[in-house]
Amino acid sequence: MSTLRRPPRRSVGANVTRVGMAMAIAFAGLAAGAGYWQVFEARTLSAAPDNPAVIAAARNAVRGRILDRNGTVLAANDRDANGEPFRTYRTRAVSPVLGYASRQFGTAGLERTFDAQLVGLVRPDPVADLLRKFEDDPYDPQDLQLSLDLPLQQAALRGLGRDRGAVVMLDPRSGELLVLASSPTFDASAIANPETSAAAFADLREDANQPLLPRATQGLYVPGSVFKIVTAIAGLGSDAITPDTMFDEQPRAEREGLVVSGFRINEHSGVPAVSFDLADATEVSSNIFYALVGLETGGETLAEYAGRLGFGGPLPFDLPTAPSQVTNGGGNFGGGFTDAVELANAAYGQAETLVTPLQMALVTATVANDGVLMRPRLVTAFIDEEEARRTVGAEEIRRVLPAADARAIAVAMRQAVEGERGRRFTAGAKVAGVPTAGKSGTAELGGRGEPHSWFIGFAPADEPRIAIAVLVERGGRGGERAAPLGGQMMTAFFEAEDD
Amino acid sequence: MTGGPSATARRESAGPALPKLFPNLRPRPRWRELWLLLLVGITLVVGSISLEATRQAQAAAAAGEPAAGLPDLALFHPQPLVLYLVGLLAAHLAQVLSGRRMDQILLPAVGLLGGISLLLMQRLPQGLAGGFGGLGQTQLIWLLLAIGIVTAIAVTVRSDSWLRLYKYTWAAAGISLLLTTFVLGRDVNGQRLTLDVGPVSGQPSELLKVILVVFLAGYLSENRALLVEQSTRLGPIRLPPLPYLAPMVAMWAIALGIVVISRDLGAALLFFVVFLTLLYVATARHSYVVLGLGLFLAGGALMYSLFGHVQTRVDIWLDPFADPQGAGYQVIQALYAFGRGGLIGTGLGGGLPTIGGNMPIPAIHTDFPLAALGEELGLIGILAILGLYLVVIERGLRIAAAAADDFRAILAAGLALVVGVQAFIIAAGNLKLIPLTGITLPFVSYGGSSLVANAVVVGLLLALSDKGVEPPPPPKPPGRRLGRLLDRGAR
Repeated sequence: MSTLRRPPRRSVGANVTRVGMAMAIAFAGLAAGAGYWQVFEARTLSAAPDNPAVIAAARNAVRGRILDRNGTVLAANDRDANGEPFRTYRTRAVSPVLGYASRQFGTAGLERTFDAQLVGLVRPDPVADLLRKFEDDPYDPQDLQLSLDLPLQQAALRGLGRDRGAVVMLDPRSGELLVLASSPTFDASAIANPETSAAAFADLREDANQPLLPRATQGLYVPGSVFKIVTAIAGLGSDAITPDTMFDEQPRAEREGLVVSGFRINEHSGVPAVSFDLADATEVSSNIFYALVGLETGGETLAEYAGRLGFGGPLPFDLPTAPSQVTNGGGNFGGGFTDAVELANAAYGQAETLVTPLQMALVTATVANDGVLMRPRLVTAFIDEEEARRTVGAEEIRRVLPAADARAIAVAMRQAVEGERGRRFTAGAKVAGVPTAGKSGTAELGGRGEPHSWFIGFAPADEPRIAIAVLVERGGRGGERAAPLGGQMMTAFFEAEDD
Repeated sequence: MTGGPSATARRESAGPALPKLFPNLRPRPRWRELWLLLLVGITLVVGSISLEATRQAQAAAAAGEPAAGLPDLALFHPQPLVLYLVGLLAAHLAQVLSGRRMDQILLPAVGLLGGISLLLMQRLPQGLAGGFGGLGQTQLIWLLLAIGIVTAIAVTVRSDSWLRLYKYTWAAAGISLLLTTFVLGRDVNGQRLTLDVGPVSGQPSELLKVILVVFLAGYLSENRALLVEQSTRLGPIRLPPLPYLAPMVAMWAIALGIVVISRDLGAALLFFVVFLTLLYVATARHSYVVLGLGLFLAGGALMYSLFGHVQTRVDIWLDPFADPQGAGYQVIQALYAFGRGGLIGTGLGGGLPTIGGNMPIPAIHTDFPLAALGEELGLIGILAILGLYLVVIERGLRIAAAAADDFRAILAAGLALVVGVQAFIIAAGNLKLIPLTGITLPFVSYGGSSLVANAVVVGLLLALSDKGVEPPPPPKPPGRRLGRLLDRGAR
């Protein structure tokens, strides 16, 4: 087994040299690691909202102002009895977007995301940033210019009234958000004012209506029929269907129900038992047709296209967003679906599908923008004390589907608002004198109580300048509550444009 | 140097008594060490002045006054720094007087690290720890003690037989120290590392690493021939001699034991890595390293699946941002500190923003001094500090390569490696390159056990570097004692 030979008198010197080289390499790795954090990641780390430097500076520094697209000041500063600055906000309408900056309760919303810029800890110019420590006053607070349109935002909140819900409006070509309204809202000034801060915050936390939840970005809702647009995008984009595809079994199934793996899917009332193509099915909002499209497309492709639209993760946005989902995931049927039944139900927006209003606004904006998804944006410019502006430009995230397919969906959505049969559902969304496209949704929640009322749309249908998503919690049928509000908002947009 | 002339005078005045104690006293100048120590002194004085300037600026800002030009040039709490520099100078003079031809670069390198530690501990809130009037004072006392230990060992140790001959005694002492800690130790932060002896408390694992190296040097140098030449054939595969794997398996088991019982991942990692590296130094056989790494991975996987605290550490490492206010807090805050420092740092005293008077990183003085230095000295400072450790490693390995026999070579290499590997483990943990383990940054972290143990390391390295030390005993035939015993088992 073992052999004993003469003992070696070889010195260990060569081995020691190799160990030394290994240690040198290991320490070079440390140097690289330090360089990574201290140079490459330094700016990101230094701007993190929970970085103590940001928190400490936020207590003392006078924050930059926040302006809407017309230059109206939404957030300014005041001083307390000790001369320490605190925040004041113009209106409750923007509170879920701006959030608050409070000495006691920290920051939320845009005040949190852009804390470092508002306080002036991070500068646009990296070289100036490097030399900042040699200056007497290290802070250079910047103003934020937003794309929000305050009158429209206030109109949206008036339209929502006492209902809980959200309205999102954006320019589909640039991704600029004009309205990001959540109802109910809250008084951010009361949280920021050190004298009223504690009481206001305690009240808000106990409020059963959860005013601190920014519904437009973090509320997750069953989408109902508005999700059919996602299914159409997946079906057309993947060439599983064409705008002319019809299904042989569909007319009969409208009457008798569609049997999927032994489970019967029934149509909602008011859908005639005739053959539909994409536009007709969208006009009458046929569940059967879209269930068949979903099955034809397959779970994996549906999930993939939803992912391209932003589902499945936080959106690349200035505010934190809740990830929308097509399914709970974990199933083996493809795309995370459990079985064909779940897929068929998800395809018309029921099952385990959950979405945020912002996500649905991006879906309709993608259709409106010929199939290209733009990054949604609130902040359009940073303005420093010398009035120098650094603008944040439009940014294409990706092409989701071919332009021709997007236009076919646009045609179907226009028919849903303006077609003879569609008018019974969605007529309220029509903007007088402007070709309008849209889709209403009625999200059944099971049990009793009113369904969630949805509308997504855009106008003008042939050359869209505005896209919109409206959600009213427990608002009833989509055509009754959300669609008229959507029409009203788009009308207000075009009126303001004309002025 | 303010303390220079007086210290020299003191030595000279004690001159007449010296010949009795050291009849062969022949002072030998160490100019290189002196010049380097002068550089160290200048560096630390500049650091202290910068700290004081920052403090003045901050005080002015807090009082609401405008920054008024350049601040006064003064030292920040000068007394401890002056005492420390005098201590270094005294260590230098003692080595000069001893007349030994020892390494002249180790002491300045380590002295600069210790000085940086002193400035950092002075700069941190004094209430963090320390029983002798605050963090800085306590660290100064330990630093002076460490200088004393370095000097005492460097000057007096002229023979290594007491290490060479009693390796199993040392091993036994080490294991009993470990066991005592397990049985009588005190849990601190969920780790059983601390042993109280009367009023003094310490972390025996720090001393244990020195004992481990002494034992390994003895064992490996004696059995080197067998480990290199023999092999066991298992079919077509050529394996190391199986009986000689017993120590490796034992080491592995001890490392796992440390993880299980005292929850000290850092020490376990350090011991095992140093062991493997020394095995490679002794044998140059890659198969040992591969086998050892295999054992390490298997053990690591086992520990991960069995123990919550190991899982927590790894999970935090993989994604600290999963729980930024809880488990991941310290790691994230350390990264923020590195990020705030950037390329050139905020300057000593200018970083580490406090929230309500609290340091952003609670264990900054023990586990995260590198993050603090990374913030205040920047990437440039970090590179300099890493360079200093490389200098220490290089000097140690150079001493090893030049050593007269295997025992001294492996001992010197091992001593250099415990410092180098330990610095690597904690630095890599701070930088999120590997999971964080709570061991100290040698010569920089706050704490007596660490400074004393590392002082012993430096002292022994200095003593081993003396080319005039007594020659090693003639090499013994391989296979004595345990070797022969194990060899019988192999047949």
